[in-house]
Amino acid sequence: MQTDDLIRALAGDTRPVPRHAVERRVGIGLVFGGIVTLATIAATLGFRPDLDMAMQAFPFWMKWGYTLSLGIGAIVATLHLARPNAERIDWLWLLAVPLLLLLAVAASELIRTPVDGWQRLWLGHSWTRCSMLVAGLSVPLFIGLLWAFRRLAPTRLRLTGAMAGLTSGACAATLYGLHCPEASATFVVSWYTLGMALAMLGGALIGPRFLRW
Amino acid sequence: MRASEEQLRIWMIGGLDGDADAYTALLGALVPLLRSFFGRRLRGAADDVEDLVQETLMAIHTRRGTYDRSRPFVAWAYAVARYKMIDQFRRTRHMIQIEGLEEILVAEGFEDACAARMDIDRLLDGLSPKQARAIRDTKVDGLSIAEAAQSAGLSDADIKVSVHRGLKALAARLRGER
Repeated sequence: MQTDDLIRALAGDTRPVPRHAVERRVGIGLVFGGIVTLATIAATLGFRPDLDMAMQAFPFWMKWGYTLSLGIGAIVATLHLARPNAERIDWLWLLAVPLLLLLAVAASELIRTPVDGWQRLWLGHSWTRCSMLVAGLSVPLFIGLLWAFRRLAPTRLRLTGAMAGLTSGACAATLYGLHCPEASATFVVSWYTLGMALAMLGGALIGPRFLRW
Repeated sequence: MRASEEQLRIWMIGGLDGDADAYTALLGALVPLLRSFFGRRLRGAADDVEDLVQETLMAIHTRRGTYDRSRPFVAWAYAVARYKMIDQFRRTRHMIQIEGLEEILVAEGFEDACAARMDIDRLLDGLSPKQARAIRDTKVDGLSIAEAAQSAGLSDADIKVSVHRGLKALAARLRGER
């Protein structure tokens, strides 16, 4: 095809693009992915019956504070990486702050507990399933992000994949918190973190293949 | 006559708002820019250059939503072009010699910073005359290394080294000024 014909064809398709198109698209992808994840939780796991009580207590907000702050940080990084001329991210290490804070909470929890109670704090009732559920529930969110990226232009594909994976893992963990009755910081910092790390690793592994354009 | 950054940006924003005429003007004006961008880097493989120009135009179109209206436009378009070029190298796995890749990368980071807030003359004044001239010839006036070498009466290697060292010094200074 001649370049002039191509220009004519492209110019014939000049639909207006909204401001903040990147943010909108990522938002739409996450909302749709989140709906699927939430519906999956509702249909298979169920929400914790004492949810309204739990929402007035510390452990619930400890969990949400952790997963939401990680999720927001990862979303900001993902939005940043969606543009081709993204500058280096100097603040990526800030994503470690929620983890360090929760480690501190877990440490104080362990100090206040006699040693024979540690195993219960660490393993809870659901340590065998928690990480895999978080990682599995992140898949619809990740697919939503992959859809969003079909109109975006990342150039560092592995890092972008990792941040998209962390975004979907952290959002999935947040929604999973509506089901999960575990209340110890030691549990959350171990198994939630493992689940989100798996999602991030998966994103980093498949990012270069699926985010190419 | 090449369109200025300001003109291209106005056309781009027009295109984003749905103005087909502005958008046509933009794409048309991008073609020579992209041809010389790829031409300089592929050393004259004309078919490849034209393929990359078309691919880049399509990518710019599909992904135009990633352009942030408050930021320089040409830097964004070149970032798309650079990605397309690297992607093509990866895909074809041709052994294409990119002369001075580091210099290209440094130079474009420099261009961004420069277009945004720097007075080129003032910056170049701080370098040795040789470095300043080498940078001005190759990066501002768009001469090839060979042309710049000829006009300065130096060897190609001399020009490359001057550009490289000069850009390094400039980058260091820009970082210091932040």
